[in-house]
Amino acid sequence: MTAVPPPLPIAEDADMDVERTNDSVGHRRRGDVIVWSARVAVIVAFLLGWQYLPKVPNIRKSFTFLDPFFISSPTLVAKELRAIATGQHGAGMIWAPLARTVITAMIGTLAAMIVGAVFGLAVSNWRMLSRIARPFLVVLNAIPRIAVVPIIVLIVRNSQQADAVTAFSVVFFLAFYNAVEGAGTVPREMLQSAQLLGSSNLRIMWKVRWPYALGWTLASLPNAIAFGLTGTITTEIFTGGSGLGYQLLLGVDNSNANLLFAIVVVTALVGVILVLGSAGLRRVLLPWWESNQTT
Amino acid sequence: MGTAAGRTFGPLLNLSRVQYSYPSGLTAVGGVDLSVGQGEIVAIVGPSGCGKSTLLSLIGDLAQPSRGSIEWTDSAEHRDRRLAMVFQRDTVFPWRTVNANIQYGMECLGMPKHERRQWTADLLKLGRLEGFGDVYPKSLSGGMRRRVALLMSLAVRPSVLLLDEPFSGLDEPTRVELLADVLKLARELKLSAVMVTHDLGEAITIADRIVVMSQRPTTVRKEVRVDFGSERNVYEIREAAEYAALYSELWHALWASIRGEL
Repeated sequence: MTAVPPPLPIAEDADMDVERTNDSVGHRRRGDVIVWSARVAVIVAFLLGWQYLPKVPNIRKSFTFLDPFFISSPTLVAKELRAIATGQHGAGMIWAPLARTVITAMIGTLAAMIVGAVFGLAVSNWRMLSRIARPFLVVLNAIPRIAVVPIIVLIVRNSQQADAVTAFSVVFFLAFYNAVEGAGTVPREMLQSAQLLGSSNLRIMWKVRWPYALGWTLASLPNAIAFGLTGTITTEIFTGGSGLGYQLLLGVDNSNANLLFAIVVVTALVGVILVLGSAGLRRVLLPWWESNQTT
Repeated sequence: MGTAAGRTFGPLLNLSRVQYSYPSGLTAVGGVDLSVGQGEIVAIVGPSGCGKSTLLSLIGDLAQPSRGSIEWTDSAEHRDRRLAMVFQRDTVFPWRTVNANIQYGMECLGMPKHERRQWTADLLKLGRLEGFGDVYPKSLSGGMRRRVALLMSLAVRPSVLLLDEPFSGLDEPTRVELLADVLKLARELKLSAVMVTHDLGEAITIADRIVVMSQRPTTVRKEVRVDFGSERNVYEIREAAEYAALYSELWHALWASIRGEL
């Protein structure tokens, strides 16, 4: 779980005086068609295989796990999704556990982002502090977070708080390392330029290092949300109290593959929505952020 | 302090026997004597890695000479700051708009807001960036970004503008345009400039005097006066016979430096 450095600031449309020719746009469109049809083909092939491969007798005999009892099937998962969304056929509704997991993950993630960024900036600004802290932080970050979950559960008796604390502990280091990295990688020339323009050390910290580090930290927001969600669901499985993790436990206890796959689909959807949402939030908060990422 | 096209430059900055050694003991700059006059543009050329950028950081007070002295005359004190520098690497703050970038140095000086706004508008006009004040640097071209960096340093009204290969990596027409901008700005704002470059054409285009440096530890090998004057047309002098003659003279000196001839 190392800090993921965002792409170096490279001007996204630095060649704005160079007009893109129509030809290259057309080229791109043709490429898009190929890419999208390939994507659709992969999905269709996957769903068809999932649905019908277990029905082929020879295959079913040699691969015993290819049985809807274990792997469910697209139609069964779809049925289950409808059931948990509407509460039909006595199925438990998904909305309350879903809301609980998402809210817990977001609280843990946001708190960790803020605290991590502030700590990161503080540590990177005081050289002595950063030298003292470095080995501890490396060791702490090397501990697999799942190993700490029981201790967190033991200390924080309230299960929702325990979930949030786990999300926090996972995301904290991501935010922290990004802030340290960011503040430490301000180009030397940028600092010298600010100094020559008459900045005091304090001004350089607040007006140069801080925004630079903030950019790096917020750039990691989509990753952080994904990590926070993972931490929360892991702890929920452990505490078995509520949330999507508890729904997964129910699925295992009742040997209900349909429910397990339906929950996986729900978490995937939630993950995608949160990641896209946080990317949007980053665009709003950092209108200046330069990215050469393409989607 | 030399003369160019009949012009004389009052003294501004004087380096005598300036020497610089790294903590490792390696001597990068070995006894440089150099003067820069008021309103004069001096270009420093030399073999790559010879220590010319180090020399510029010594003038810029980013490092202290091991020996020798750098003296400023009183005339340097009449400006807001003695010097400003444009670096080879991009130093524009990406989180500030063009206006806010230009105003950074003014904020450091504590300039009142209305004055800041007026001076920024003037600078945008001088730097051909009108209409781009509220734009973030990410949507500017490479040449425009260099102009923003230039205006950022001019915002503090320095006596001397230090330029460390500021236009490398840009295409030739853009570079010539930027040189014309520097020349115009230096003339209108009455500033001196010291530019380190590896490009002889760039040096001839802009400078009143060109200094050819030797290999490390670098010293002044040759000084050449350029008499095109401050009203020169940078697009036309490239075709002048004097330009070619100067180029050839400088090339021989530079080539001798590169081969380490005495």
